[in-house]
Amino acid sequence: MNKTFLKFGVVIFVSLFFIVACGNENDEGGEETGEYAVNGEVTLDFAIWDSNQEPGLRQIADAFEEENDGIRINITVNGWADYWTMLEAGATGESLPDVFWMHSNEIHRYASNDMLMVLNDQVDASDQIDMANYPEGLVEIYTLDDHYYTIPKDYDTIGLWYNKTMFDEAGVDYPDESWTWDDLYDAAVALTKDDGEQYGILTPLHSQEGYYNFVYQNGGTIITDDKVSGYDDPNTIEALEFYINFVREGLSPQIFGDAERATVLENGLAAMGFFGSWNLAGFSENEYMAEHFDVAVLPASNDGGRASIFNGLGNAIAYNTDHPEEAWRWVEYLGSEEGQRMQAELGIAISAYEGTADAWVDSNDLFDIEVFIDMVEYGQIRPYSNTTGVWEDRAYEELNGAFTGDKTVEEAANDAARVMNESLERED
Amino acid sequence: MDKKSKSINKILLHSFLILGSVIMIFPFVWMLLTSFKSVTESTSMNPFVFFPSEWRFENYVEVIRQNNFFVLYYNTLAMMFFRVLFAIMFSAMAAFAFARLKFPGRDFCFGLVLFQMMVPPQIFIIPQYLMIDAMNMRNTIFALVFPGLVSAFGTFLLRQFFMGLPKELEEAAIIDGANYGQIFLRVMLPLVKSGMIALGIFTALFSFKDLMWPIIVNPNENAAVLSSALARMQGAYSVHYPQLMAGAVLAIWPMLLVYLLFQRNFIEGISTSGGKL
Amino acid sequence: MLHSSKAARKPNKKNLNEWMWGWFFIAPTMIGLLILNIIPIFQTLYLSLFQSGDFGRGDIFVGFDNYIRMFNDPQVWHAVRNTLVYTLLVIPISIAISLVIAVLLNEKIRGRTIYRTIFFLPMVAAPAAVTMVWRWMYNNQFGFFNYLLRSVGLESVDWINSPNVALISIAIIGIWSIIGYNVVLMLAGLQEIPKDYYEASMIDGASSIYQLFKITIPLLSPTLFFITVTTIIQSMQVFDFIYMMVDVTSPAYNSTVSLVYLFYNNSFRYSNRGYGSAIVMLLLVIIMIITVFQMKAQKKWVNYK
Repeated sequence: MNKTFLKFGVVIFVSLFFIVACGNENDEGGEETGEYAVNGEVTLDFAIWDSNQEPGLRQIADAFEEENDGIRINITVNGWADYWTMLEAGATGESLPDVFWMHSNEIHRYASNDMLMVLNDQVDASDQIDMANYPEGLVEIYTLDDHYYTIPKDYDTIGLWYNKTMFDEAGVDYPDESWTWDDLYDAAVALTKDDGEQYGILTPLHSQEGYYNFVYQNGGTIITDDKVSGYDDPNTIEALEFYINFVREGLSPQIFGDAERATVLENGLAAMGFFGSWNLAGFSENEYMAEHFDVAVLPASNDGGRASIFNGLGNAIAYNTDHPEEAWRWVEYLGSEEGQRMQAELGIAISAYEGTADAWVDSNDLFDIEVFIDMVEYGQIRPYSNTTGVWEDRAYEELNGAFTGDKTVEEAANDAARVMNESLERED
Repeated sequence: MDKKSKSINKILLHSFLILGSVIMIFPFVWMLLTSFKSVTESTSMNPFVFFPSEWRFENYVEVIRQNNFFVLYYNTLAMMFFRVLFAIMFSAMAAFAFARLKFPGRDFCFGLVLFQMMVPPQIFIIPQYLMIDAMNMRNTIFALVFPGLVSAFGTFLLRQFFMGLPKELEEAAIIDGANYGQIFLRVMLPLVKSGMIALGIFTALFSFKDLMWPIIVNPNENAAVLSSALARMQGAYSVHYPQLMAGAVLAIWPMLLVYLLFQRNFIEGISTSGGKL
Repeated sequence: MLHSSKAARKPNKKNLNEWMWGWFFIAPTMIGLLILNIIPIFQTLYLSLFQSGDFGRGDIFVGFDNYIRMFNDPQVWHAVRNTLVYTLLVIPISIAISLVIAVLLNEKIRGRTIYRTIFFLPMVAAPAAVTMVWRWMYNNQFGFFNYLLRSVGLESVDWINSPNVALISIAIIGIWSIIGYNVVLMLAGLQEIPKDYYEASMIDGASSIYQLFKITIPLLSPTLFFITVTTIIQSMQVFDFIYMMVDVTSPAYNSTVSLVYLFYNNSFRYSNRGYGSAIVMLLLVIIMIITVFQMKAQKKWVNYK
C-alpha cells in the first residue's frame, strides 16, 4: 500500500511543482510591467474600454515614450462590461491599473471611496495643465469637493444622422440648425413609406442617444439638483409624448436592443436617427453609411429650446500606484495641448483642450462632424447621480410599455418617476 | 429486412443527420464566411449577404499583426493542458473513492461536490481573484489554472462511470491481494477511459471558453489567452466583426485538435454491434 | 446512494484500511473545493446579510433585510418562474433529440467521424459568432425566421421583444447549444454497453425501438442521470443567452430575466453585492431541492450494475 501511496504523492507533487515553476517563470516576465526592472525602466498599465481608439492611443504613447526615456506604456483594452468588472476587482483587491479611463456613471463611486489620486497639487504645479482650458461641464463632472480626480480627455454630443439619398428621393430638404420639432415630424411623415420598407425616423428606447435630448430641449429634466426624479415633470412628459409618438404612429420601428439601433440605419430601414459622436469610427467604416449619410445638429423645440446631451471621459490615476510621478507625466501628456491635438488629428475623439477640436473635424471628410462641436454651446451634461446605472435601468423597465402601447406615456413616465425615486432613496 | 427498405432507411438516416449537421454547423460556417467579409457586408441584413464579395485575407493579416498568436497559443494550451491534467487526475481519484469505497463522511463530502455545482460560477470570480492577488500570482499560467485545480463536475461525471462497473471486479482483485491503489490504477481506471476522455474534452472546452477569469486575473498582454485576446477586440461602440471572426477562426484550432485527438479514442473502444437500430 | 455506510460503523483493520484509502483519494479534491469554492459560498451567504459598501468596504449589517426585500420584489418571482419554465422547455426536448443523435452516431455508418465532429463544432464556435447568427435569425425586420413566415404568407413575429414568445426563442438557443454536450457524454456512455446484449436481443428478433427502451436507455441510465442532473443545474443557471439577446430596455425583459441575470445585474452592474448574494441563495435553495429530489428518485430508474 505504501508504495502506491508514495507514487501518487510523487505524481501530485511533481505536477504541482511543475505548474508553479512554470507560473513563476512567466511571472518574472510579467513583473517587469509592474516593478522597476534592472535598467530602471518603468512600465505603466493604462486601461481603456474602446478598441477603436487603441491604435491611435498607441501612437500617442509611442511619442510619449520617445520624450520620456525609461517609461513604457502598456495599453490594456477590455469591452465596456468587462472593463468595469476588471476595475471593480482591481479596486477591491487594491491592484488597479496605474492609469485608466473614468466615466460619469462611475466617477462618484470611485472618487468617494478614494480609489483615485487627487490631482490638485499636480495641476497647480504643472505648466501644461490648466483646468480653464477644458469645457467647464466636463471639469465639473469629475470634480468632487473641489478635488480634481481626472484630467479631461474628450467629450461627445449627440447628432441627427440622416440618409441623404432618402431625403432626395422624398424631396425633403436636409435638416439644418433652423429645424424645429415640427420640421422633424413633417420630415418623418414624408419619409415614411406605407409598405413598411422605410421608416422616416428611428426613436428607440434609449436615454443618451434618444429621449434625454428632447426632454432637455423642452425644458424638462431627468434628475433635479436635489436628486429627485424629473420624469413626472410636465415638460418631461410632453417631450416623451412627442418622442414616443413617432413609434405609435408607425413613423419609427419599435427598437429596444442597444445593438440593433445602428443596424436600422445601416440597412436603410430608417431615414433619420440620433447617434453620438463616438460612433464616427464605426459609421465611417460602413460603406453604406459613408455613401448615404450625413449628420446635422439636433432640432430645437418649437419654442426654440436647444440641447444635446454632453458627456466626456477623463484619465484617472490609481490612488496607490507604484509610480505616481510617471503616471502623472503620462496623464499630463495626454491632457496637454500637444497630446490633445494629436488625439484630435488622429480622429480618435473630440479632444477636450480648447481649440484642438478643429483638428478632429478635419480628420474626417465623410460627414459634417463640425455640428458636434457647434452643439457644445448648449450641451447638457448627461444626468447622473451616485447610482446612475441603477435608476436608468429601472426607468427603462417602466418606459417600454409606452412604446408598445401597453401604457399611456403619462402613466409610464409617472411609473418611471416612482421607481427612480425609490431607487434614489436607497442611494443615501 | 430486404435490401430496398434497408437503403431507404439509410437515406432517411443520413438526411436526418445531414439536416442536423447543417443546423449545428451553421454558426461555424457563418464565422468562417464573415472572416472574409468587409465591415459593411458583415452587418448587412438588407440585402442579406451570405458569401463575401471577395475573399479578404487582409482581415487575417491584420489580426495576426495586432496579436502575438504565438504567446496566445502557448498560454491557452498550457492552461488547457494543466486543467485537463488536474481535472482527470484528482477527479478520477475522488470519483473512485465516492463510487467504490466505504468510509465515514463519504456521503457528506459528495454532497459538497454536488453543492459546488449548484452555485452560479460568477460568485467565485472575486474571491478567487483576491486569493491570486494575495499570492502575488497575477499574470501567470498558475493563475489561469487555479480555479480548475479541482473539478466537481469531473468528480461527479467519473463517479457515474465507476458506479456502472460490476462489483466482482474489485472482489476478485482483493482476493488476489491487491490494495485499493492498485485496484484503482490497474483494474478500474482502464475501464472508465471513455469517461475520462469526455471529461478531458469538456475540461479543455470549458477552459478554452472561460473569458471573465483570464480577463480579470491576467490583464497583461503577455499572459493573455485566446478568449481574452478576442474579447479585447470588441470595441465599445462598434465591432469590427470580420477581424473578430478571423481571430476566432485562428483561435479554434487548438480546441479542434484536442477534440480530434481525443475522439479517435472514442471510436476505438466502440462496440461492434452497430449496423442496427 | 448505492453503497450505504452501514459497514463503516465498526472499524476493524480491513475497514480502517478502506477508510484511509477513501480519505486519501478524496483529499485533493476536497481541499481544493473547500478553498476555491466552499469558503466563497459561505462568504456569499455572509454577504447576503449586509448592505454592501463599495469595493468590499463599509458593509453594513442589515440582518435579513435583503431577503425581505427579495421576497417582496415581483421581479424576483418573475425570474423564478422564467428560470423554471426555461428549464422545463430545454431539458426534455434536448435530451430526447440528443439521445436519437447519439444512438445514430454510435452505429457503424458512413461519415461517422465527420458527423461527430460537426455536432461538436457549435461548442467551439466563438460566442460572438453564435450571438450574431441568432440575432440575425430572430431579427424582426430582416431575420431568417420572419422571412420564412412572410414567404408562406404569415404574420411576422417579434421573436425577442414579444413577452409571449421571447422565452421560447431563448429556449431554442439553449436546446441547440446543449445538444453537443449531451451527445458527447452519451457517446461516451454508450461505449460501456457490452455488445452481447444487443446480439442476444437480435436473436430474439427484438425491434430497434424495443432495443432502445429495453437495453440502451436502462444501461445508459447512469450517464443519463448525470446529464439530467447537470443540465438541469446549467439551465437553472441560464444567463449568457438572455444577457446577449435581451436588454433591460426590452418589453420582454420581465418575461425572460433569469435569477442569475438578476444576480449579475445587482452584483456587477448595480454594485449591490448584498442583494445579489441573497438572490444566489434563493437560486441555490431551489436547485438543491430539485437535486435532492433527483438523487432520491434515481433509485427508481438508474441502473447501476
